[in-house]
Amino acid sequence: MNETAPIISATDVHKTYRMGRVRVPVLKGVSLGIAPGEWVAVLGASGSGKSTLLHLLGGLDRPDKTDKKNGSARIEFEGRALGRMSRGELDRYRATRIGFVFQFYHLLPELRVLENVTVGAMVRHGRLGYTRHRKEIVNRASGLLEAFGLGHRLRHRPGELSGGERQRVAIARALINEPRVLLADEPTGNLDRATGESILDAIDDLRERLGLTIIMVTHDQHVAERAERVIRLEDGVIAANNAPPKKNILRT
Amino acid sequence: MYQALLTRKYLTTKIMPLLAIAAVTLSVATVLVTWSVMGGFLNTLLTSGRSMIGDVSIYWPNVGFPYYDELCERLEKDPRIKAACPIIESFGVIALPDDQVHGVMVKGIDGTRFARVTDYERTLWWRPLDRPMPKDTDRVDPRLGTDKGYFAGEDWAARLEAGLTLTEPDGSAAAVPGIELSGWNIRLPSGVYIPGAPQRPGRDGKARGINLFLPDGEITLHLMPLDKTGRGVEMVTRTVPVANEFHSGIYEADSQVVFVRFDLVQRMLNMDEAERIERPESPFVFNPKTGRLEEAHTEVIGVDPARATTVLVRAADGVPVHSEEDIEAFRGVCESIYAEFAADHAGEVPGSGSILVRSWRDMNRTMISAVEKETGLVLFVFGLVCFTTVFLVLAIFWSMVSEKTKDIGILRALGGSTAGITWLWLRYGGAVGAVGSGLGLLAAWIVVRNINEIHQWLGDNLGLVIWDPSVYYFFKIPSDMDWQKAVVVVAAGVGTCLFGAALPALRAGLMDPVRALRFE
Repeated sequence: MNETAPIISATDVHKTYRMGRVRVPVLKGVSLGIAPGEWVAVLGASGSGKSTLLHLLGGLDRPDKTDKKNGSARIEFEGRALGRMSRGELDRYRATRIGFVFQFYHLLPELRVLENVTVGAMVRHGRLGYTRHRKEIVNRASGLLEAFGLGHRLRHRPGELSGGERQRVAIARALINEPRVLLADEPTGNLDRATGESILDAIDDLRERLGLTIIMVTHDQHVAERAERVIRLEDGVIAANNAPPKKNILRT
Repeated sequence: MYQALLTRKYLTTKIMPLLAIAAVTLSVATVLVTWSVMGGFLNTLLTSGRSMIGDVSIYWPNVGFPYYDELCERLEKDPRIKAACPIIESFGVIALPDDQVHGVMVKGIDGTRFARVTDYERTLWWRPLDRPMPKDTDRVDPRLGTDKGYFAGEDWAARLEAGLTLTEPDGSAAAVPGIELSGWNIRLPSGVYIPGAPQRPGRDGKARGINLFLPDGEITLHLMPLDKTGRGVEMVTRTVPVANEFHSGIYEADSQVVFVRFDLVQRMLNMDEAERIERPESPFVFNPKTGRLEEAHTEVIGVDPARATTVLVRAADGVPVHSEEDIEAFRGVCESIYAEFAADHAGEVPGSGSILVRSWRDMNRTMISAVEKETGLVLFVFGLVCFTTVFLVLAIFWSMVSEKTKDIGILRALGGSTAGITWLWLRYGGAVGAVGSGLGLLAAWIVVRNINEIHQWLGDNLGLVIWDPSVYYFFKIPSDMDWQKAVVVVAAGVGTCLFGAALPALRAGLMDPVRALRFE
């Protein structure tokens, strides 16, 4: 793979949801490419298909099947089509290559902070693998939490943390398996501006230190400006893609 | 791995699984207590059923059969047989000193021989006591100490000896009735009997208190001897001193059986050895010497040997007789020995095809079968009721899966597979079942171990007497846990929860992760 080859790409992706008897098209032919280590913001209004695009890129959902004549729709990660992956391979893809961060943190309320982070490693490694690597996983989780300023909160439950702290725990969880791509769905949407900025700083720092690829969905122009490139989604299609010249791979 | 962590967390932080655990605990405990008590009831029945009748009975009712001692000798020669003894069984009527009249089963026994075949000696109630009975915390047993009113100076060793031999010190034949027969003995909750002072109608029609110790009194025994055709001859009545009382633990026996010395019953029923006579055809015969008619005399033409109605047989130690197959095999041994005996006394004793050779199971079959069926029915009904736990677990887990929809979405986003999520909830159901069943087992064990005390407490404080000995044969509720049954019930408890959790687990596993994450 050369330097400009996309780590993740989408070609002519459609997605339609059925709401009762009504079919609601959400994505209407989206194509994009994200270079390794790039920080891309997907900007759009509510209902524009941002989160749907994120779920499809993360292998949580599958795009519509396009007709055979014109269809070339596909999502690829490092050149491998997600559509050709089995369920098990998709599960493994999410566990090892992708880290998800959500607007409402989505921490497991019964688990303590440290457990919320290590649970991702448990899912990835299974019982035997986790037992074998337990020490290093716990060390890594503690290290991540320390780095996010949560070293003193390891034994707390999510309900005892502030919104910013919860989001930092969620980011630590997303990073526990050392993914290549971080998919963040409105990570600052539920935070005040100052806290949101600190979260964005943390993400930026990660990108620089780890070479992480970041795709961040937001409806906030100010947040989007922190990214290297902004893809604007409107009514299920990409309306603008102001990619920096060096990392522009694909356009709609 | 995450399944184990989440199962533990969900179990310890949620109310709903605690409700499911409580339901499983109650169900398992209910079934186990019921099964243990009913099973124990059956076991007690089987054990007690043998205690007074030996293992096999060779029985020819009414007129009985002769040469019973020879038969006993033949039986005892077989190494598989420990002892055999003759008895005579007959219905009779007794009158007590307070003029009560009871229809009873009279058993004529040689106490010492009878005790070798049955647990007769152990059942004799009035005997020396070295120490108070375990439950006699109030020390009310009249056999303790010497200053006990009219028991002062009572020679309990002599009572035991007289009960065993059914012979009074002056050599006269005695009787030993069941301890519940007279109605004079009051059974205390501690299990100790004390002679009471019941009110009885006097001759003047007014109530009067009877304060008697039956072994100090006499009973009047009425028996009806039968002729060879089974017809009654003439009622025979004797007054017999009471030597002791017995307590077998089977209410039916303790309230209806009277043991009387063998030879007395034999004489009263005309079953003792007798001359066989021939009556002349005419009351007068012509004497050719004197040329006169003279009174005809009966002629002794032989001897009718003494008879007994029953020979009881006890298997030698180590010969299995508990199961249906074992006791049938042992019955076959007795049957073949009787067949040889009958062949040697052809025409004098009932043929081997006619005689009734019955095992202790045969004699208790109706009761055993009834209890077995009752146990099965009760278990079926309780099992059915407990099966509703499946639906309870299903409802609780369905609701929990709905509540935890977002968690499921998160786990899927982290890479959790369909099978992994399904296993999480199935495992959770199994854990609820295991914890609930474990607690149920513990609760059942505590209840079963202390069921008599609990029953006593209920009776004392709430007036609730569930186990009436006059209905249930035994005075004490069986309190042994059968661990094989416990394993079955605990496994069923876990299985029930797995079954109830299966559908919600599948629903969780198949949940669309995107919808789960967007669930509000």
